Amino acid sequence: MGRILCVAEKPSIAKAVANHLGGQVRAESIRGTQYIKNYKFDYNFQRWGESSVTFTCVAGHVQQQEFTDRYRKWHACQPSDLFDAPIHTFVAESKKAIAANIEQQARYANVLFIWTDCDREGEHIGTEIREIALKANRNLEVVRAKFSNIERAHIIAAARNPVPLDQAQANAVSARIELDLRLGAAFTRMQTLSLQNMIPQQGEERGKLISYGSCQFPTLGFVVDRYLRVRNFVPEPFWYIKVVHEKDDINVKFSWRRGHLFDRMAVTIIYERCLISKTAKVTKMQTKPTKKWKPLPLTTVELQKMGSRFLNMTSQEVMNVAEHLYTQGWISYPRTETDQFDAGMDLRALVQKQVQDSQWGGFAQGLVNGGFSQPRDGRNNDKAHPPIHPVNYVVPSTLNEQQRKVYQFVVRRFLACCSEDAVGEATDIEIEYGGETFHAHGLTVIARNYLDVYPFDKWESSQNLPQYTVGETFEPNEATMHDGKTSSPTYLTEPELIALMDANGIGTDATMAEHIAKIKEREYVISRTKGGGGGATTASTRGGAAAGRGRGRGRGGRGGRGGAAAQSGGASGGSGTGGVQEFIPTTLGIALIEGYDNVGIETSLSKPFLRKEMEVQMKAICEGRSTRNDVVQQNLDQYRAMFNRTTQQINVLKAVSISPLALLS
Amino acid sequence: MANNLCTELKVHLSSRHLHPTDAWLQTFISTVRPNTPIPALKQTCLFRLLATDITNSLDQPQSSLFPSDVLNAKAQSRFLAGPIVCQVLDIEDIGSSRWSQVESLEATERGETTKGREIIRVTDDEPNGAIPTSTISKGPFKILLQDAKGTKVYALDLSGTNGLHTGISMGTKLVIRNADVRRAVLMLEPGRTQILGGKIEALDKVWKEGRKERLMAAARAQNSEA
Repeated sequence: MGRILCVAEKPSIAKAVANHLGGQVRAESIRGTQYIKNYKFDYNFQRWGESSVTFTCVAGHVQQQEFTDRYRKWHACQPSDLFDAPIHTFVAESKKAIAANIEQQARYANVLFIWTDCDREGEHIGTEIREIALKANRNLEVVRAKFSNIERAHIIAAARNPVPLDQAQANAVSARIELDLRLGAAFTRMQTLSLQNMIPQQGEERGKLISYGSCQFPTLGFVVDRYLRVRNFVPEPFWYIKVVHEKDDINVKFSWRRGHLFDRMAVTIIYERCLISKTAKVTKMQTKPTKKWKPLPLTTVELQKMGSRFLNMTSQEVMNVAEHLYTQGWISYPRTETDQFDAGMDLRALVQKQVQDSQWGGFAQGLVNGGFSQPRDGRNNDKAHPPIHPVNYVVPSTLNEQQRKVYQFVVRRFLACCSEDAVGEATDIEIEYGGETFHAHGLTVIARNYLDVYPFDKWESSQNLPQYTVGETFEPNEATMHDGKTSSPTYLTEPELIALMDANGIGTDATMAEHIAKIKEREYVISRTKGGGGGATTASTRGGAAAGRGRGRGRGGRGGRGGAAAQSGGASGGSGTGGVQEFIPTTLGIALIEGYDNVGIETSLSKPFLRKEMEVQMKAICEGRSTRNDVVQQNLDQYRAMFNRTTQQINVLKAVSISPLALLS
Repeated sequence: MANNLCTELKVHLSSRHLHPTDAWLQTFISTVRPNTPIPALKQTCLFRLLATDITNSLDQPQSSLFPSDVLNAKAQSRFLAGPIVCQVLDIEDIGSSRWSQVESLEATERGETTKGREIIRVTDDEPNGAIPTSTISKGPFKILLQDAKGTKVYALDLSGTNGLHTGISMGTKLVIRNADVRRAVLMLEPGRTQILGGKIEALDKVWKEGRKERLMAAARAQNSEA
């Protein structure tokens, strides 16, 4: 009987998958680690026949990269040396017991079957596991499972169809890790050493680390950019014309096609021309069916945006909760860019599972009884995971509040995707009056359809409009000139920030929430509930103790991987009074961004361009169009040039840092 | 020969309703090489004339000037047959707030433009002065015009005359026909406004350099007024 060693990325997956495959499985404890268990059972994988299985796991990345000792002390070398200082890869201290367990188990196994999450990061963790296992047993056959949720039938199918590890994806992660380590350390040391004496100390144990990360800075840049727009904003008056006509006892309000203009003289002249012309003429009268399209299948970015907009949770909280729901087998893998369902998926069966719910069960039943309609296809398919959807029904009352909110949202979104668009009738009336066009728009909702299960979209009937005939003329009852004032933009909200990061290629859908949390933790920005009154500022998420151990590397990756459970407990300390989070930069945050902008590098580090290029190159590695070494070298060259420029002009950076801090602190 | 040439050029220019002063024409003729072919001369002459300040270079007949009482704001509406030749001294986009125009000028200075939420770097590859289409506003525009005698009149371009936007050169020459003047403001209409082109280099330079400052100052003034 063959021996198969299965390794998942985290304990919850190992336990869930082992139970699906082995039924009631036996858990063995491992020396030196509390959380990780080895599950032993027999299973018949088609490929290897009846086998003896050990199912274990790691906890995120096992290996760590660090500069060799000579370069680790801050004053031991010039920060610029870190661009090409040797890096060594080793098993992290905290992961030694885990690695030892894998070695131990690998010795007696014929096959290493990797069950890490199916994404770039998971692919890389897979190669780490492979390296450790092969050291102990060079004859291992290595494969991985391809799966995107923890539903039983899906897992069994994945167990039957192993695939090879994707080295290209692992290489992309490896490139990112090296770049993040070198750039993060070099810039962090350089700017900390240059600026630390100017920053008022806040809390002594936290030292004066001013960290840099190639995602953190553009993220901060967006916040600062909006803040400056708000601060510099000048309101201006504008003028506009309104026309009212009463017909069939209905007061029809016509609004000006031009909206408003910023010149009183111009509007006055136009207004006079309207008044002189006396009558208005109907140029368009159109009633036509209209639809409000049901939403697209749910992606990670969309989940985070909607979560922070409607669920009163930060994007990071949403992701942690979604991760939990995934490992419990309730929803599919929550890190996905895909917004189209495979034609082969049995969506009806998934809808059927929701029939028993007390809130949306009736709606789901309606879909099962013939209301089902194939979801719309978006434009993205990462070919790894389907859109986020519920895989099993869980009674919401058995979940905690945050889990319930996220689960509910995922289910409602899914049901909405599987139902019909909302249907209505739109009426558009256009008149010509004094050479100007005015219009009125009316909507009658005929069938709400998906809206019944998806309260996050609003589409309401408006006032009824009377019938007009094209060519008909009438004398308006009122034509009035009004004025108004432009209003300032608002501070950047979390959904807006996520949308900006997404559009500008900062981070991946899976890491955006972490970059946002990072700039809060570094006290570059503070977040507060929008409209929550000036005093409600919360210096939020005073991160875990592991935050800045003086090494300050801006990780692009998922720092908290495997430790997600620990985080979800602590990170929920934000304000819980409702509403969207908005971000305001601290004086330090502003100083850093303005400083780098003033250094006059062609593409400031506060801008998204360079990082975006890096993400594009990561994709190129995955697709085999570029190599790890080329990408690393090219980026190092580019950033080194900026590093040198910045150190030459360090006084510019200092100058900005002093002035606002002195002014405002 | 000089007389002949003079007449030929006059005919050519007057077909565009341009009537240069004799002095300007003589100076022009004195700078050209005598053996230049006539068609080329005509073109050069028109080009040079359009690059002048018309208050110095044109001697228009009365019908081709704004009437002396054009600025009477009590007149609700009056008709100008034209054709009137004038030059653009200023153009304002009154469809967007001054501050938003300042912000978009600043983005251009930084070499950025936006496409939806995406921030895009504008590289210098494009030939100088190429304005990304997204930044061209549809107005409407308020324009300050000046005729050959120096009379200045505000005009409104409400209907979107092709070629009029905030990217045009100051000193651009227009020919206006059959125009409606309301409360001393001339209403430009696409079919009745002909753009001859040209510019006044010095004016244009100052105008472009000072545009952001003027917009900022105007926004602040508007704000304190309102």
